[in-house]
Amino acid sequence: MIEEYNVLIASVGGQGGITLARILSNAALSQGLNVRVGETLGMAQRGGSVQSHVRFGGDVHGPLIPERGSDVLLSLEPAEALRVAKYIGKKTTVIMNTHPVLPTSVLLNETTYPEIDQILSILRKIGGNVHSLNALELAKKAGFSRSLNIVMLGAYVALGKQILTLDAIKEAMAASLPSRYMEQNMRALEMGIAKMRESI
Amino acid sequence: MIGSEGSVSLLMGNEAIARGAMEAGVGVVIGYPGTPSSEVISTLMPVAEELGIRVEWAVNEKVAFDIALGAALAGTRCLVTMKSAGLNVASDSIMSAAYGDVNGGLVVYVADDPGAHAGMEEQDSRLFTKIAMLPMIDTSDPQDAKDAIVAAFDYSEEFKTPIFVRSTSLVAHMRGGVRFGPVQKIRKPSEFKRDIRRFTRASPIWCMEQHALLNAKIEKLRPIFERSKFNELHVPDKNSRIGVIASGVSWNYLKEFTARHNIKGLVTLRIGTVNPLPERKIRDLIGKVDEILVLEELEPYIELHVKAMIAEEDKHVLLHGKKEGTLPKVGEYCYDLVERALSKVLGIESAEGPSELDEATEEAMKLAPRRPLPFCPGCPHRATYTALRQALRESGFGEDEVIITGDIGCTILGMHPPFNMCWTEVSMGASIGLACGFKYAGIEKPVIATIGDSTFFHAGIPPTINTAWKKTDIILAVLDNRITAMTGHQPSPSSWFTETGEKGEPIRIESIIEAAGIKNVRVVDPYDLQQAKLAFLEALKAKGPSAIVLRRVCSLVARRMNLINNPSFVDPEKCTGCLHCVRTLSCPAMYINADGKMKIDSATCTGCGVCAQICPIVAIITGGPRND
Repeated sequence: MIEEYNVLIASVGGQGGITLARILSNAALSQGLNVRVGETLGMAQRGGSVQSHVRFGGDVHGPLIPERGSDVLLSLEPAEALRVAKYIGKKTTVIMNTHPVLPTSVLLNETTYPEIDQILSILRKIGGNVHSLNALELAKKAGFSRSLNIVMLGAYVALGKQILTLDAIKEAMAASLPSRYMEQNMRALEMGIAKMRESI
Repeated sequence: MIGSEGSVSLLMGNEAIARGAMEAGVGVVIGYPGTPSSEVISTLMPVAEELGIRVEWAVNEKVAFDIALGAALAGTRCLVTMKSAGLNVASDSIMSAAYGDVNGGLVVYVADDPGAHAGMEEQDSRLFTKIAMLPMIDTSDPQDAKDAIVAAFDYSEEFKTPIFVRSTSLVAHMRGGVRFGPVQKIRKPSEFKRDIRRFTRASPIWCMEQHALLNAKIEKLRPIFERSKFNELHVPDKNSRIGVIASGVSWNYLKEFTARHNIKGLVTLRIGTVNPLPERKIRDLIGKVDEILVLEELEPYIELHVKAMIAEEDKHVLLHGKKEGTLPKVGEYCYDLVERALSKVLGIESAEGPSELDEATEEAMKLAPRRPLPFCPGCPHRATYTALRQALRESGFGEDEVIITGDIGCTILGMHPPFNMCWTEVSMGASIGLACGFKYAGIEKPVIATIGDSTFFHAGIPPTINTAWKKTDIILAVLDNRITAMTGHQPSPSSWFTETGEKGEPIRIESIIEAAGIKNVRVVDPYDLQQAKLAFLEALKAKGPSAIVLRRVCSLVARRMNLINNPSFVDPEKCTGCLHCVRTLSCPAMYINADGKMKIDSATCTGCGVCAQICPIVAIITGGPRND
């Protein structure tokens, strides 16, 4: 029996981070695991930062992952990975989408958006394995740009040593996603898996 | 949500509250939207008809409570939902209702917001129980929240008193497994017997009699709360003489800490019934230990009660909590904060991470760009503030010269760049009274109040009448997007549809303002910048109160209902890359191309046409209405 396993999903409102959390948590529940999900979104539903903490295991009670406690960070947006830095530790595997969502403060020249290489180098200092991929590009190739979250799910599946089975994940996808885009989403999942396998 | 008995589903705390209402046989569920409480009603809405439950949004929390009280007096089980600020609005009635009886169970669900995620003050509503004298159960997780609602209805009906069930943001939005119980239909015959000795307050003798009865109810409830499953005292065989009391979300952190560190000797007490408190269990714990740590967010509510009991027990017990500074009064608790406090009290070395990790984390936080909430693409409020800024400039006012009082909801986002318009934000409807106050103090320049439609209906009407009555020279701008947008698009009285999607009859804000006695009222479409600017220019010149209703449906709703235009586009031959549009409107649908010119993302643009109206060289072409 697993004691504690933590997946952190960092995203920007509208990217599908909450749906991704729902797929993972429902897959875990269907495997009989104790599940907790904490979400910090507040007013940030529209273009703000969203963090979903998906936690499984017998010793899990609190809604949020302890500091440095993530086993995996799925960052759907590069700069959002920086914002959750305190949850990343040496045991954390980071998977980051390289396509940024620029905040309006950057357009207004009030702040600057960091270079992707700079973000990756900081993540490598804090985290364990750090992987990156352009999930938006793959989602577009899959025929549905909003399947970016599912590309990231595929990348996560490809990590191997999974607690969640691929069957449970696919079942949870079918329950949480609109059926008319299921073909594209399944393709996105496969593309995420294939891309990640190249880099590990 | 109509799952079978015994099955386990992953529910959000608020969904669990909704499920609890179904299992308690509730007949009326009513509230006003407010983060983090809104999902209770939106969860019940789709099953309401099937279960025969009346589920509604009211115009404000006081009206919601009054309706629920009336239905409860007549024997129906009622649930009222609100955020902490809403409790303040409903409190006038709640304080008074506490003195009477209820015949059907009446539960008030209030969701507090430690950490201020929803951008309001960190009110600790547990303290309300001390003013209202009413019972309250605090919740720790979704299963607990569901159980608390079901039990609260039974207690409420048995003791004939309204009861509070409280959660906080993390509990309300936490997902966890919830085991379903049976869905019940509890319907008592509707009747209410006249008994003015119980149900009116005007006679001082009766009123004091009612006060004594309320106190007696609480005393009768005390031993029942004491024994309820919402309080758990765990005394290990070999105890370490250290006790920990935890309430709300902190109980999870305590359990996680003992599991992670394999700690066995602690005496632990979880407190769910915050009023009346489980005094005997607390005194039991005091008798068994030499040190106590209290884990509770916000005010030291339990801590001060424990301190008093320690004094009464005449025992030397060291009390750790907020008073000595081990834990903060501000903000939400998290696991690490609780771990540090427990480690300190237990004398455990906290596992300090390597400092280079902390340094890199600090560097990461500094690099992460801020994401202030922008107006959505096509938001009519962006157009309103743009027109207002143009009018102020044309009237000769510079930046930060004219006071604009803001209000609750999306309309307050005008405080952010590039608009920098709203100066204050206090509470629902307060923008109007505040604007009058600035005038009373002698501010000679114009003062403008901006308020949304739902906020206007909620608490903006009395100050509007006051403004008209006293003929105060302010400009009232009602930004009518025909929906309660910020909290997730619940219908407002200005909507043309109801909660259940049926056709509704919108109530006209301008009719209310005119009826109040303000003669100078204009209704404009903010997408027509010229008209909106002219309306503001006229109001700026006028003497006495004036009002402008800026009516245009929320662009997110428009998108959902297929009411948007084709996207606008930029003529790359004409665009000079001056970026006037980006700096003026800061629309998320705009981005800057590699050649330095502005481009519009056709997937997010709603074709509102506002950017086309402000482009100095007319390089933006509007897409026009959609034909599909």
